Amino acid sequence: MTSTTISVNGRTVTADVEPRLSLADFLREHEGLTGTHTACEHGVCGACTIMLDDRPARSCITLAVAAHGAEVRTVEGYDGDETMATIRESFKKAHAVQCGYCTPGMLATAYDIVTRLPDADRDRIRLELAGNLCRCTGYIGIVDAIEMTLAEIRGGS
Amino acid sequence: MSDRGVGASIARKEDDRFLMGTGEFTPDVQLPGMWHAAFNRAQIAHGRLVSVKAPSGAEGQVFTSADMADIKPIRSTASFPGFKGADFPVLARDKVRYAGEQVAIAVAPTRAEAEDIADSIEVEYEELPAVVDMNDGREPSAALVHDHWADNVCCETQFENGDLEPARAAAVHTIHRRFRMARQTPFPMEGRGTLAHYDSRLDELVVWMSHQLPHPMQRGIAHFLGLEINNVRVICPDVGGGFGLKTHLDGETMAVCWTSLKLGRPIKWIQDRLEHLTCDADCRNHQYTMTAYTDEIGKILGMEVECVVDAGAYSPWPWPIGVEAATGVGNLQGPYTVDALKGRSVTVCTNKPPSQPFRGVARPGACFTDELTMDAIARTVGREPWDVRLDNLVPPAAMPYDTVTRKHLDSGDYPEAFRRCVAAIDPESVRERQKTPEPDGRLIGVGFACFYEQTAYGTGPFGYSAWGIELVPGMEMATVKLTPDGGLWASVGIQCHGQGLETTLAQVAASELGIDPERIAIRHGDTATAYAGTGTYASRSIVVAGGAVAQGCRELKPRLARIGAHLLQCDEADVAVENAEVRGPGGSVTFDEIAEAFYHHPENLPDDTDRGGLTVATGYNDKVHGGVFGFGAHGAVVAVDPDTGQVEILDYAIVDDCGTRVNPLVVKGQVIGGYAQGIGNALYEESDYDENGQPLSVTLADYHVPAAPMVPDIKYDYMESPSPYTTMGIKGVGESGAIGPVGAIGNAVNDALKGLGVEIAETPITPRRVFDAIERGRAR
Ligand code: FES
Ligand code: FES
Repeated sequence: MTSTTISVNGRTVTADVEPRLSLADFLREHEGLTGTHTACEHGVCGACTIMLDDRPARSCITLAVAAHGAEVRTVEGYDGDETMATIRESFKKAHAVQCGYCTPGMLATAYDIVTRLPDADRDRIRLELAGNLCRCTGYIGIVDAIEMTLAEIRGGS
Repeated sequence: MSDRGVGASIARKEDDRFLMGTGEFTPDVQLPGMWHAAFNRAQIAHGRLVSVKAPSGAEGQVFTSADMADIKPIRSTASFPGFKGADFPVLARDKVRYAGEQVAIAVAPTRAEAEDIADSIEVEYEELPAVVDMNDGREPSAALVHDHWADNVCCETQFENGDLEPARAAAVHTIHRRFRMARQTPFPMEGRGTLAHYDSRLDELVVWMSHQLPHPMQRGIAHFLGLEINNVRVICPDVGGGFGLKTHLDGETMAVCWTSLKLGRPIKWIQDRLEHLTCDADCRNHQYTMTAYTDEIGKILGMEVECVVDAGAYSPWPWPIGVEAATGVGNLQGPYTVDALKGRSVTVCTNKPPSQPFRGVARPGACFTDELTMDAIARTVGREPWDVRLDNLVPPAAMPYDTVTRKHLDSGDYPEAFRRCVAAIDPESVRERQKTPEPDGRLIGVGFACFYEQTAYGTGPFGYSAWGIELVPGMEMATVKLTPDGGLWASVGIQCHGQGLETTLAQVAASELGIDPERIAIRHGDTATAYAGTGTYASRSIVVAGGAVAQGCRELKPRLARIGAHLLQCDEADVAVENAEVRGPGGSVTFDEIAEAFYHHPENLPDDTDRGGLTVATGYNDKVHGGVFGFGAHGAVVAVDPDTGQVEILDYAIVDDCGTRVNPLVVKGQVIGGYAQGIGNALYEESDYDENGQPLSVTLADYHVPAAPMVPDIKYDYMESPSPYTTMGIKGVGESGAIGPVGAIGNAVNDALKGLGVEIAETPITPRRVFDAIERGRAR
């Protein structure tokens, strides 16, 4: 067992964990934050994407011990965040959710796109989404939602 | 009438929990004392099990089929002539029949520990030659997948309708082709998974499953474990996609249930992606041989077809292998007026995972075959494929039309829908563009596909019941209740795993009663809340559960009218039930007030209040039993790189007709989601095997699921031809989008290659296959 201290959604958590424990399992099993989903556990599908020190990261191939000292933000950690509220509203309007399994990871990537690339067009959005698989929506609604969010933010500022 | 009812593009009620990360999927469920399961799986495709030895220290934590001898044999039934049965082993018994087959279950307090134990189980095999290819499997020299069978052919069916002789005699052209589709996996983002625990207070085995069919699973688990239905509850909570994969009773679930009862503690198994790609490579692996007879302008006079399906090792309950191949043959004429068809289906067992339905079942294969044949006909007769299609499509004046394969096409204007698709693609402009070589050397092609979608399949007459399958859909039930505060609660036996049915069924009820969808709760996926049902599959739920919910609302109305009229002190004949109130000549009472009277102030009720109260359990039964039919036309423009074989989709159009659209946003979402899966089918997804039956596509580096850049925007249009047979004219739409892309993209690629005189006839159309075809063309 190794001790690790991680800030999870603004709360400092210290735990003794097995060195092989993934951050995804740590969040899900130890912290009860089941909004983070896993779908491949080998770093390809993006379902487990969370924010690690404000950058999207795959929690399935990040070890909990390697996140020592880091700030982790999961889908449960956006209370009061206006950008995420706009993204969520756009996801609803554009029907960017079907089964909802890829959604938490998609939201993390969408948040990254919206905050980092305010001028992204549809091609760029698609490219940025390439690391998040969705089997239900065919992505078009997700691209629409991100475009809609960007337009809204531009219109509002 | 609520403006948020049928026809309104309202946002989905279920979205909030998914967007907040508070959905509850099977992996999320934690129970006190819960242990985790992992499976030891066959490392070889075919062999005798000599011994299975648990590691020391894991006593009582490893179980094999020998331990589970009290589970009744699981065997799917079918009445296909000559159908050969075989038990579906919960854990491999005597033999393993595909790489990845589960051999032993290991349980431990954590999943990591369970995996450690599973990995250290020692299994000794006596390896046998593997049957890897379906055609090899038919050879007399092939090894036997099931030792008690004379050969590997599980069943053959024959079909003949119309007289083929005159068609042959009159034929100006005979077009002969063979097509193949690779094996693939359905790939829902959430894999399979089961959590079982025994609730001693209720004397009930509670099974949480990532599944589409709660009630059939309750029946199967109870039966095979020797329990009463009363002692099994199946809960299918939020489910991360199904697409047909989650419609059978899997061995892992049975092993988890058995182990949970044995150990008296909750046991959870969550499939990982390696297991999915290995064990669920279970669909689309068909081979079609088509001979089409046409006149001089390409009008099809008759067809002779054979469909061979690589069914893998077993029939999982309740779906007997054989259905897939019969479905392939049963749709090969497509939406065209073909008068004579003679078909044969052959289902071959191989050392691969058991075949399962996947979105569209055999229809994508049939579409690939009949649509690529259609373009081959056009090239042969020297006409444009869209013109040849228009000459062959069932005309609106012929509706309802009985196809040669006995599909009763109930409504639609197929030629008009197709013309709109052609207009969106503008193939003449592609022809113009093709006259000048592209600056980058790529070859441009245009292709189309037309198909019908058979939805809401009922009892038969040429399907489930006639095929002798244990699960026969037809009667779908709903319980509908006005709640004490005037809201509506409805429970249904279907399961929603992305289709938005919590919203669309509420819209159906909203249209009937005028209650806002926000005040309507739809409960599904739980045998404890729903009376009966066969679950969600085959594009049925909005039609049948929608029909049942509407019927429930309609049966509530006279009961509401009676109480309302009494409260209004007027005659029952003078009131109308709408907009969530009962309106009489002098005023109205709201449903809230009626509910208040019924539940809390019975002193205000009339003496003749219906004793059924404000709850109705009722059902929907199809007026026709072979389903109702949607239609789709897809068009694609592609660029093919002759140096790399790479295919890029430049333009794509879809015109879809699913009758009355309950929620246009959801309908479009279903179509686009299917389109993306169709692109995977057409261009990327392949579960490949080596000559020993070892799976080669077991990570996402080898198995390519379309990502966002691979799924371009589309031009989308729709028509609405209500079915004359269903409630509100609704048709299903779940599978439609997934059927067309193989045909449209396949034809576009072949159009691009036509100058080389070669055709693609196998999916996925990978760079290697395209490149090989181009090389063949250049060598000519
Ligand atoms: S689960 Fe982490 S990338 Fe797929
Ligand atoms: S919504 Fe189901 S995987 Fe994306």
